[in-house]
Amino acid sequence: MDLEIQARLERFKSTPIDGQALKELVEAGLTWLRANQQTVNALNVFPVPDGDTGTNMVLTMQSAFNEIKDLGTHNVGQMAAAVSQGALMGARGNSGVILSQLWRGFARALHNQDVLDGSALVRAFADGRDTAYKGVVRPVEGTILTVAKDVASAAELALQETENPVEIFEHVIPAADASVQRTPDLLPVLKQAGVVDSGGKGLFFVLEGMLRYMQGLPLDTPTTAVQPLSAMKLENAMEDIEPGQDFEVVVDFVPARDLDLKSFYAELENMGTSIQVGEGEGMYRMHIHVPTENRNKPVDYIMRLGTITKVAMENLVAQMDDINKKSSGRIELAGIEAGQIAVVAVSPGNGISRVFASLGVAALVEGGQTMNPSTKDILDAFENLPTDQVIILPNNKNIILAAQQAKEVTVKKVHIVPSRNIPQGLAAMMHLNPDGNLDVITTKMTKAIEDVTAIEVTTATRTVEIDGVSVEQGQVIALVNGTLAISAASVEEACLGALEKAKAADFELITLFFGDSLASAEANRIADIVRAKYPSQEIELQDGGQPHYQFIISVE
Amino acid sequence: MGEETTTLGTIQISPNALATIAYHATLTSYGVVGLAPKNLAEGLAATITHEPARGVSVRYNGEEIDIDVHIIIEYGTRITSVADSVANAVRYQVEKALGMPIHFVNVHVQGLRVSNPD
Repeated sequence: MDLEIQARLERFKSTPIDGQALKELVEAGLTWLRANQQTVNALNVFPVPDGDTGTNMVLTMQSAFNEIKDLGTHNVGQMAAAVSQGALMGARGNSGVILSQLWRGFARALHNQDVLDGSALVRAFADGRDTAYKGVVRPVEGTILTVAKDVASAAELALQETENPVEIFEHVIPAADASVQRTPDLLPVLKQAGVVDSGGKGLFFVLEGMLRYMQGLPLDTPTTAVQPLSAMKLENAMEDIEPGQDFEVVVDFVPARDLDLKSFYAELENMGTSIQVGEGEGMYRMHIHVPTENRNKPVDYIMRLGTITKVAMENLVAQMDDINKKSSGRIELAGIEAGQIAVVAVSPGNGISRVFASLGVAALVEGGQTMNPSTKDILDAFENLPTDQVIILPNNKNIILAAQQAKEVTVKKVHIVPSRNIPQGLAAMMHLNPDGNLDVITTKMTKAIEDVTAIEVTTATRTVEIDGVSVEQGQVIALVNGTLAISAASVEEACLGALEKAKAADFELITLFFGDSLASAEANRIADIVRAKYPSQEIELQDGGQPHYQFIISVE
Repeated sequence: MGEETTTLGTIQISPNALATIAYHATLTSYGVVGLAPKNLAEGLAATITHEPARGVSVRYNGEEIDIDVHIIIEYGTRITSVADSVANAVRYQVEKALGMPIHFVNVHVQGLRVSNPD
């Protein structure tokens, strides 16, 4: 063990925790929670739109840490008060709010305290619990609240044996873990989904991160992950097929003796990629992608470890073709009856088409920046619809003209809502009522397109200077409402710069549609950066699938 | 209001039923310490009739269902986050029970309760 860690261990064991030490612990809790963020996210039961539990808790802890980052005080009470303040300001989602209340109680117990000794720590846990429970009329057990309660009880028990905060933590962490594991027994919805409570798990990671730091254990790599069976996202795993990994092998087995996960993983890593292991009711499920010649190896290997109950093997390459075919044909358009208003929208990508369809578009025309649909394409889209009232959303300024020509040559009553980009088109769709009066609806929709700010992020095709912004070929540029706003070296820089120019902080909802040139992991990473920068805005990330534009962003 | 025609006949769901679901979803939302009547008259009416869903109103204009909840929040919580969670929980629970989309869930914060002055 290196000297620095040795010294840290000694320090935490021998001296009471002061303000600066608490700051280190908060950072450790945040770091460890972030390392395990995806594990927590995977436990989500409710499909709520305000984000995943893990992400919400990380953002809450991040805000708490930002508040104390530069705080020099050695007084633990002042430090805790600042943590509480930061957590309050950045609280996101249900779990975030509860976490901030735990910190608030924790800080109140430490008011005017110079250092955090054993008894103060126990009081702080108890006050955290009490404060959190006061914040709700009907506390739901089997959640983060229950875990906080069990943590406080375990700390009280530990105090009878030791006054040392580190040792109290050593008692508290296993109790927190056990409490998390019990949550499905208290909350049926968790049991049905086969998961433990996500918020409780998040709290566990914060506390465990603190203990790991005091013990000198690493905080950057998540512990070898065994997840509940239901959390294994095999559909998602399909997406990251690497070349040469043609076969997917899933093996269910009951190990003869306790499974040594480390060596299990190590052995599997020699065979293939995308390894996932799930556990449930004494059974394990292993999932792996392997090259054709290795397809039998995982089965042979696991055969030696225990009893195999089921083996499933699929040829991924053949399957992927299938999936791709299906997903492109799956868009369901709104059915239209005679006399209703039908909307025809021009869409540049599959994902965006799907969003339009979900908003009630009756017909879609493929097209966009470099492939403007012809008048005939637009005409064909609505000529056969069983209604004579049509609204066209061109969604691109170069297509407005073609739309107008389509209006000239048809006998149907056609109005054009001159949307110049996708966000405007989507904003207009919010005001569609198929049974309304065509003129009234058109006016409403046309008005709506003024209320949204559109950002388009793309790569410059030539070196140029427009609107006072100079751009070199190959740079990433962002247009705000069609005007060149910024040029940048990277996509994320362009996004952030454009959002600032668009005064995104004054709006409520930021929707990011990522294009076909961007991997979803990269898009997620950028969305997380945007989330961190705009904590009070709602950020949505959607797979737009549009060509040429890395991002189309709507700010409203 | 909420109406669905099946081969057997029509299913009607009263606004009161929806309000009760919304009421329970609200009360189990973290940060909410109570619901408040929209105004004095409604408060009196609710007391007299033992209205089960005080502080919740449901409107249906023939096409869209809007739900308003009037809540009291614990002092010291982040109000926007709590209100967001309430809106999400109400929408999720009601839509799950009803199988129909809800148009708007409006959350009105009527007051704060101070139980732990810092």
